[in-house]
Amino acid sequence: MDETVAEFVKRTILKIPVAEMMTILQAWGFYLKINCRRTSTSGERKESLVHDLVLLCEEKRARVSDAALLDIIYTQFHRHQKVWDVFQMTKEPGGDIDLFDMKQFKSSFKKILQRALKMAQLYPAKEAPQSDSASSHMGNSARLWVILSRGPFACNMSRVINFLVSVTFRDAEENAVWIRIAWGTQYRKPNQYKPTYVVYYPQTPYAFISSSQLRSSIPLLGQALTIASKHHRIVKMDFRSRYLDSLKAIVFEQYNQTFETHNATTPLQERSLGLDINMDSRIIHENRIEKDRVQKITEEVFGDYPQPRLEFAQYKLETKFKSDLNRGILAERNEPLRCLVKFSSPNLLEALKSLAPAGIADAPLSPLLTCIPKKRMNYFKIKDK
Amino acid sequence: MDLANTSSQEGEPKGGVLAHLERLEARSRKKFEEPQGTPAAESALRSKILQLRRLRDQLRAAVERHGARVEASAEPDQALQDSEQALERKREDVKAILQAYRFTGLSGKLTSRGVCVCIQTAFQGNLLDSYFVDLVIQKPLRIHHHSVPVFIPLEEIAAKSLQTDLRHFLFSLCEHLNAYAGRKYQADRLQSDFAAFLAGPLQRNALCNLLSFTYKAEPGGQAFPFCARLLYKDLTVTLPTDVSVTYEGTDTPSPSWEEQRASHEHLLRTKPLHHVFAAFARGEERLELRLAY
Repeated sequence: MDETVAEFVKRTILKIPVAEMMTILQAWGFYLKINCRRTSTSGERKESLVHDLVLLCEEKRARVSDAALLDIIYTQFHRHQKVWDVFQMTKEPGGDIDLFDMKQFKSSFKKILQRALKMAQLYPAKEAPQSDSASSHMGNSARLWVILSRGPFACNMSRVINFLVSVTFRDAEENAVWIRIAWGTQYRKPNQYKPTYVVYYPQTPYAFISSSQLRSSIPLLGQALTIASKHHRIVKMDFRSRYLDSLKAIVFEQYNQTFETHNATTPLQERSLGLDINMDSRIIHENRIEKDRVQKITEEVFGDYPQPRLEFAQYKLETKFKSDLNRGILAERNEPLRCLVKFSSPNLLEALKSLAPAGIADAPLSPLLTCIPKKRMNYFKIKDK
Repeated sequence: MDLANTSSQEGEPKGGVLAHLERLEARSRKKFEEPQGTPAAESALRSKILQLRRLRDQLRAAVERHGARVEASAEPDQALQDSEQALERKREDVKAILQAYRFTGLSGKLTSRGVCVCIQTAFQGNLLDSYFVDLVIQKPLRIHHHSVPVFIPLEEIAAKSLQTDLRHFLFSLCEHLNAYAGRKYQADRLQSDFAAFLAGPLQRNALCNLLSFTYKAEPGGQAFPFCARLLYKDLTVTLPTDVSVTYEGTDTPSPSWEEQRASHEHLLRTKPLHHVFAAFARGEERLELRLAY
């Protein structure tokens, strides 16, 4: 086993906390091969455990792809350690029904990505700088590969470009596929310690990509994903969070799953709302009517289900300061005021939901705050019309 | 609390909060050590207590008597009771009917803002999942929330007919969901009940509109393995639109294999997937099967 591979295997296993070691290793197919008689790790020091495991992996000649698979499994268990961006793909209207073939998609994606990277490195394209939410149409590099892949270049390329990028797939629940991409160049093997993850839900237009420092590689990744999944365009949504499951719940509109049916046993009026008025008869509530009104509005806007978990919302303001009071310095500017407002919370939507009932804000709340799940955005740019 | 003493608080608090607390403590100690009022006042209070207790007992007895009288007088109102019971039974019946409407496949319940539609899917008499669409009745009509899976083209169907023809929207959505549920049911049945016939894993996708598998018509026997690829290009059907059965391997196939292959292709195109394999299980892979249906 190559030294770099051994190091990669060791570092990947070291990342795993001892408490999760068994769960994660047992999900890893290679673990069965190394025939480890261990079934639990209680009472063991991590270093000795890792040492034994790495030796066994070396014995059985673990490859980079095996270690990459373990890395995917680790990331699936610790998905909140990455920040996820949401991308949406679109098709031309009137196209064929999507007959998604997973095998075809995987081989297609790998080929297209490898060729696009090769093209990008051989022919650095004069692409316009990509802004955060601009759509990335097929750039020069991708167009070039489409032309070249049809010609005699096609077969020669695959032999040369295998180590430009290493791609690993793992199927997940709900028909999703996790893709791990480690990026390299013509002169350097792929860097296994800074991979990009893609979580793609086939037959939906959505993919979730982990934020990475390598800005230049994301457009190519987007193009490869778009073409392999038979779409035409990919757009990065202004929606970002660590909580992948919340992003998915919001984008797939699965966060409100309470429906009224005739089978319901609890009549609606008697359901206790989140912030109960105390049942203690010694407490008299003076503004009961106002409290009820606020409660009703809050429930209409936020529903009575647990809110999906987001950690921030950011508003970039480019507006003129409007004030009815004595015109101060701010009101006399000709150019718009630029400022950034960021709301952070362990659970932003629950916090917003409790603002009005707690008396901190008026109900109804500003639509800029309440539109986050409906608009699938938490990055806003507000300009004067 | 003595109001007279606290009036001194209206000015500046003398010595602050601690001093005030000390004063309160001294006062309470004084009260504790003093006798609790004169003996005359005591006995007056005692007799008042006895009076009030007697009054309370009298009132309690009166309430009990009244209650017994009401019960006794209720006995003759049998007719009222019967009609109440009948009404209650009717109410339960209607509730049960409303709940049973679910089994028609398309039912709904009025909500404060519109209607919540329930689509109960079924395939060949088997009840499968149910899906909900909560509609807000406003101009324009809109969907508030729903439980339709994300890969069903709900937005497309809504764009086509939600505003213009609600019935068409609902029927179209029913079609899609029932077809999806039917395809999923067939694929699940194949995977669970006929796993012995499959030579490898069943390849499927979210919509269950592309199925690819390798199978033998006899489980683990001498039969030749075929590769089947079923495409459902129409999302509202439960039978494949395209079927291709091929054989792997480099040997030239004998005419009997070719015949088998053609008949399998035909079966897969015309019969539900799990029925085809049930027929294989019964040993009936030949063309005679066509006559039985």
